[in-house]
Amino acid sequence: MPGRPSDPGDALVPFSSQVHDPVVYSVRHGLKPPIFRVYVAWSRGNLLHVACLRERTPSESGEDDDSRHPEAQAGGVVVEVQLQGGANGEISEAQQRRIAYGSVPAFALLQSRRNALMAASRMQFSSFRTEWRQYVLEYSSQIADLLGKRKPPETVIDDPKMFVEPLEEETTLKAAWDLVEIFYADNDSKAFLPENLVDWLADYDGLLSATEPTVHSKLVALQRKLVDLQVVEDDPDYWEGIALGLAVGWLDIVVKLLRLHGSYQPDQLDDRETENGLVEAVAVLVSTMPRLRPNLPAGRLGQCYKTRQDFIKAWEKWQGHVNKLDYSAFWVQCGHRQTSEGLRNLLRIMLGQLGSLNGSTYHWMELYVSHFLYVQPFTMGLEGMYSLAQKCIQLKPAPTYSGLTGILLGVLGENTEVVLAECSNIFGPWMVVHAIELLTSENKQAEMLLHEERYNLGGISIEELHRLVYAQVLSSHSLTWQIAPTYLASCQKQGLGLLEKLLYMQPVQHYLVLLKDLEICRLYELENISLSVMKIAGVHHWKHGRKGFGIYWLQQARDEIRLNKIAQQLFDCIGKSISDDSFKQWEGLIELLGSEVGSAGGLEFLHKYRDFKKSLHNVQEGATVTAARQSMQSLVQLMKSPSTPQRFWLPLLHDSVKLLNWRERPLLTVSETNLLLNKLQELSIARLRPDFADTELAPEALSSVRLALATNLGRAILEDC
Amino acid sequence: MAGGGGDLVVHRFPQSKAVDSVRWLPAVSAFDRFVAAAVHDPDSGSSALEVHALELIQQGEESDALDLLPRDSWSSASRISALRCSNVPAEPLTVALSTFAGSLHFLFVDPVEGTIESELSPVAGERWLHSGPISAVDLQPEGRECVSVGQDGRVNLVSVAEGSMEHRRVHDARGLVSYTAVRWGSSVEFATGGLAFGLQWWDQRKPGGPVSHLKGDSFQGMASGIVHSIDVHPSRKHICLAGGSSGAVFAWDLRWQKQPVLLSGAGLGQQRQSPCESEVWEIQYDSLIQTGFSSTPSAKILPVMICSEDGVLAVLEQGKDPIELLAEPCAVNAFDIDGRNPSDVVCSLEWEAIALLMRPRDSSAF
Repeated sequence: MPGRPSDPGDALVPFSSQVHDPVVYSVRHGLKPPIFRVYVAWSRGNLLHVACLRERTPSESGEDDDSRHPEAQAGGVVVEVQLQGGANGEISEAQQRRIAYGSVPAFALLQSRRNALMAASRMQFSSFRTEWRQYVLEYSSQIADLLGKRKPPETVIDDPKMFVEPLEEETTLKAAWDLVEIFYADNDSKAFLPENLVDWLADYDGLLSATEPTVHSKLVALQRKLVDLQVVEDDPDYWEGIALGLAVGWLDIVVKLLRLHGSYQPDQLDDRETENGLVEAVAVLVSTMPRLRPNLPAGRLGQCYKTRQDFIKAWEKWQGHVNKLDYSAFWVQCGHRQTSEGLRNLLRIMLGQLGSLNGSTYHWMELYVSHFLYVQPFTMGLEGMYSLAQKCIQLKPAPTYSGLTGILLGVLGENTEVVLAECSNIFGPWMVVHAIELLTSENKQAEMLLHEERYNLGGISIEELHRLVYAQVLSSHSLTWQIAPTYLASCQKQGLGLLEKLLYMQPVQHYLVLLKDLEICRLYELENISLSVMKIAGVHHWKHGRKGFGIYWLQQARDEIRLNKIAQQLFDCIGKSISDDSFKQWEGLIELLGSEVGSAGGLEFLHKYRDFKKSLHNVQEGATVTAARQSMQSLVQLMKSPSTPQRFWLPLLHDSVKLLNWRERPLLTVSETNLLLNKLQELSIARLRPDFADTELAPEALSSVRLALATNLGRAILEDC
Repeated sequence: MAGGGGDLVVHRFPQSKAVDSVRWLPAVSAFDRFVAAAVHDPDSGSSALEVHALELIQQGEESDALDLLPRDSWSSASRISALRCSNVPAEPLTVALSTFAGSLHFLFVDPVEGTIESELSPVAGERWLHSGPISAVDLQPEGRECVSVGQDGRVNLVSVAEGSMEHRRVHDARGLVSYTAVRWGSSVEFATGGLAFGLQWWDQRKPGGPVSHLKGDSFQGMASGIVHSIDVHPSRKHICLAGGSSGAVFAWDLRWQKQPVLLSGAGLGQQRQSPCESEVWEIQYDSLIQTGFSSTPSAKILPVMICSEDGVLAVLEQGKDPIELLAEPCAVNAFDIDGRNPSDVVCSLEWEAIALLMRPRDSSAF
């Protein structure tokens, strides 16, 4: 296994070294103390086998004691302990499995497309860049859909006091995936990175911290408060909420909140005309803010500009309007102090004054985004973004560590190892395996890092290592093992070996599971594995008394050695001689053996014997010479065959005495009779051996057969002459 | 209801545990429709029979969504291996289920509420019908008599009367033969299937073993396999339809015993494409497509629906190309066609989900 838990520094697969609260599992073994020894072993998945053994005290070894306490007799017991699922409590195990299932088709499709492109381009992969980018983007959006679909934003009832939606189904996993997608998969978005981050924060701001306040949590609190508030503009929280929303660019919320201002009330409009004019002017400025992005989702405010030139022009014009309003004389006429102060704070934010931005954000990510919106709205290189992030962290150091920001810093710092380590730490192997596809799609450096074969990993690449780890996780659960082959098949070095092992280790008790296993063998053309699995299944069924099933699997596996062995045991079951009645129940088994004699091994005797019996029966009913001749032929075949057990020789011959004494003509030739006589002689010698199992036939059977054969020989010689 | 016209509508309901089998419960009214599902949760090691109600949920003005809501459940000590429901609406409905441990249980379900009212299980201490797993069971339409077969080679008849079970062993092959499928043909006859594509026809009036056999090696050029499912059409009792390994679907006409008709499978040759190549887990006559039913010669095989390990749910018709209804990335383990509304099909998917298909009623749309 990769990594040793004792030394996190050396681990190949990063694991969390943080110490969680220990979980206590109580083992109900029901044994009387003292427990002498406890063995703990891994079973499948997260199941532990705990074996508790107790030492027998001398007082208990007496028989009386045991009979009085029957439960005390148990010397030990094995208990299964189910360990609870890992650190990711946000997503249930069933949901995790659902994600695992859903990502299989997307992953497999991407792999096959990659292989197809590789084959088509003969290693000149670069010529298919655009096609490949499209495929990766499709893959990424398929996975993102799986992690949770975004709800349609419009609600049927438009409540003016409902402006922010509580976090419902958004998970950190989806937030992380979206973040990785923005930077690695979506090539079109590269030109609009800052705006993409604004959108990302709008979706996931509430996830940044569970304990510290964020813009989202503050707005949710404000929404709750507003329900009971009559005069909103008197409340400082109202103005703070608007400023917070504006700082992170949630313009629709800002405008919605501004329109709740008391001066819009019809009965107050006359008295507060100037005040209302100022509020409205700010609302109009907010809703016409120029944004450097191709489009906006429905319901979002702002004016989009695709090119930098257009944007700069619009931006300068807009800033001019903001400045003009800031220096306007109307502020003096505004009678409501909170309103004028609150609105001017909004203008300062729009003008990008650092103090106001800093005061209107909580988390450093929020401050970061506000910089993009109001201070430096143009795309800068990753390097510039990284140093800006560092500056924001200095201004607002986060008291608690968040994995999401860790991933973001890794991405900005162009440090693939950090991104992978964070993904692995927080989200486990699923995230790493699927995110690697995005990391390597564009980035040459990351591709080299992840695809390079490493000596210390046993000659495999980091990418393969993570896939192997993920496949191990999948194969440890009885519901997900069937999807592990998809990932193992994408591992060039060690995948096939592990796949063989996985298929080989599946339980064979039930044929339905076995057939699913064999189906995977067929898909990956692993015939040797399917043969061994069938052999194991055959022996298992045979041992458990399902002889037909056992023989079926051994026949499918073409395992003649075991079939021959089994044949001997089977003949023991048949008994010393085969009576017609007892043989009836073997009919079904003989049907199973089929007509292809070769595949049955030693069991072909049963087949021939049945044929012989049938022809003998026919002869007794209507005695034609050809029928009689035929049954004698099958007798000779049977006697010749090495698979016919010796102990059946005499009963076979005895059964056919009537035919040997056929009145009209001898049915056997001289050589055939000689063969049978030789066999009889062999039998007579064998009888002298101590291990010979005698038949239940009458003692004179041997002599009657010998006599019949001798007579037949004489008649045959005469016939030949 | 949705899907009354136009295209095929597929709803998927994730379940968070393995769904081994699904069956429609015969509906008493058009509004109460129930699905019985045999589920297994390997994490807790628990198995259960769950009754789900199919409900229409109003969602705005345009779209109505269907949902599958759990109504009742009965927990089983062992994983459920086979599940059958009586197909005549009655009070109460009978559900027969068998387990991997070899026990057979009857549950009685209220047809209006969908709740499990009572159960009949083997008395503790009594010897079980089978040693080892029961591979298949089948109920008579009115749910009074059940036949069960197992890998141990036993064939048992169990009749339910007045709160008690009575069982009778029809045959015991003592493990020399294993049976993997069973289906009633009439009130006294039934068909069983087993290894090497073997089929047997039994008549209770003629005890002492099967009345006739179909030998599996009658197919040319086809690998040997296991029969997983059998169906006998009530109007064509002489034809026994079977599905099994390597995508094989074949019909065995009792009147011409030597030559089974292959509908699908590797032995089909080049003439037509086989819809699947892996295990065919279940087959059922598709009662939706019945073009010119009375005029079809009795030797022609009626349309049949199959589901398979490679994720195909398809309808096969003799001499025509198969119609693929579903092509899932995972196996379709079982399905059931609603007797009342043959356009609706429920199926269980390997990836812990139940899928509901609503086909357009007009079969000519295909």
